[in-house]
Amino acid sequence: MLLDLVDIIRENWLLLLIGQYPNGPLGGFAATLILSVLSIALAFPLSVLIAFARFSTNPLLLWPATVLVYVARGVPLLMLILWVYFMVPLLIGANVPGFVTMLVTLVIYEGAFLSEVVRGGIVALGRGQVETARALGHGYFGAMIHIILPQALYNVMPSILSQFVSAIKETTLGYVINVPELTFAANQVNNQLLTKPFEVFFLLAIIYFLVCWTLTRAALVLERRIAHKRAGMPGVALSLNPQMPVPEP
Amino acid sequence: MTQETPTAKVEPMIRFSNVNKNYGGFQALVDINAEVARGEVVVVCGPSGSGKSTLIRTVNRLEEIHSGTITFDGRSVHGKMRGSELNHLRSRIGFVFQSFNLFPHLSALENVTISPVKVNGVDREQARDRAMRLLDRVGLSAKANAYPAQLSGGQQQRVAIARALAMEPPAMLFDEPTSALDPEMVGEVLAVMRGLAADGMTMMCVTHEMGFAREVADRVWFMDAGQILETAEPSVFFGDPQHARAQRFLSDLRH
Repeated sequence: MLLDLVDIIRENWLLLLIGQYPNGPLGGFAATLILSVLSIALAFPLSVLIAFARFSTNPLLLWPATVLVYVARGVPLLMLILWVYFMVPLLIGANVPGFVTMLVTLVIYEGAFLSEVVRGGIVALGRGQVETARALGHGYFGAMIHIILPQALYNVMPSILSQFVSAIKETTLGYVINVPELTFAANQVNNQLLTKPFEVFFLLAIIYFLVCWTLTRAALVLERRIAHKRAGMPGVALSLNPQMPVPEP
Repeated sequence: MTQETPTAKVEPMIRFSNVNKNYGGFQALVDINAEVARGEVVVVCGPSGSGKSTLIRTVNRLEEIHSGTITFDGRSVHGKMRGSELNHLRSRIGFVFQSFNLFPHLSALENVTISPVKVNGVDREQARDRAMRLLDRVGLSAKANAYPAQLSGGQQQRVAIARALAMEPPAMLFDEPTSALDPEMVGEVLAVMRGLAADGMTMMCVTHEMGFAREVADRVWFMDAGQILETAEPSVFFGDPQHARAQRFLSDLRH
């Protein structure tokens, strides 16, 4: 079986790596990676904006953001993808490539989920930090950017990471709308071989696992470096309760 | 240039006129009329729930009021104003919290420099030099690079005082600055506050430290149930309190 795996890799590595590029669109692992990186890179700033909107007293900001979060939480991602895939071309009267459909859907869906993580991190800091920043003359956004977000985002890093990892895994759903990502390529390989589905999909699982594991490790290193820089700051516990007695150094 | 006119010279630093505030049906502040003169040190005392903290927090508008006016350095605090004007006003009012509220992701030095740099646009190097002098003044220049979690409560509160001073405020407000401290750390914070008072800083201070009030305050305000019942020089207040509630408060303290 191990030999089978090696054979599958040797014969199909290019298809798994870049799909049918340059004869077709860039696909395979490359497409998965690009889709993941882009969706995370766009969803993260969007999530901070949604979180701010959810704190706003302006109904024009508050309501759309709230509806978005509730819809994203209440509808399965696959349904959302199919919806965007079939509805958006009808609405705008033009064809939208599967890759773009997938990217936009993922960004909105992940942005909505991440925004709740970010919001939770901000709420957990308590009023004291904002109040202090405002008392020193910082404006709302100044206080958020310089005082609140650096603490809140650090404290919720584990949850943010989980969301990033799930975004990577959710790119597999691109398969159903013919985005030629890694799962799509693996399925092509499986269709050629016909007799080795276990080996092919085992290989697929390993690749996803390695990508997600690498990201997890990278985040852990980052978390440790920040913790080291703020040496002695016990992260979440201290920020939750700034009044907590602090041991003598 | 308006500060140069004779009328502005006698204008008190903080003036409360007919201030009222209620939470739902509960009246937190009742017809407050009082003044803190320039260079004066006022200690506000009274039993818990008497409205001391609420009162001091209305000065920089951390609490809203329902009627009356409060002026700081001649400017109305609770009038209609743009957000940026309120930010500017707040940047000129030093405020020290009971729970220190240092920014835990920044070193002591950065805690002191961030507001001058980000709010007032002070040059980074200049802010740093000034912050080092302020940390030296509160006796913590050796801890400039320590993070809040590495400092004791008393040290954190001294950094918080330096942080407020970095904005060069004409007055400092203290909201029970020593109440969250272990007894052996109270002295170091009070010493810093004593130094400030000696340098002529206008101070309004909510505290239960009656020794500090007796020694440093120019006037003591005694509050109960949202009202200022008595204002007097400390020697008079502690020696011969006029109001029955104040007499009971002081005799309870002695037991």
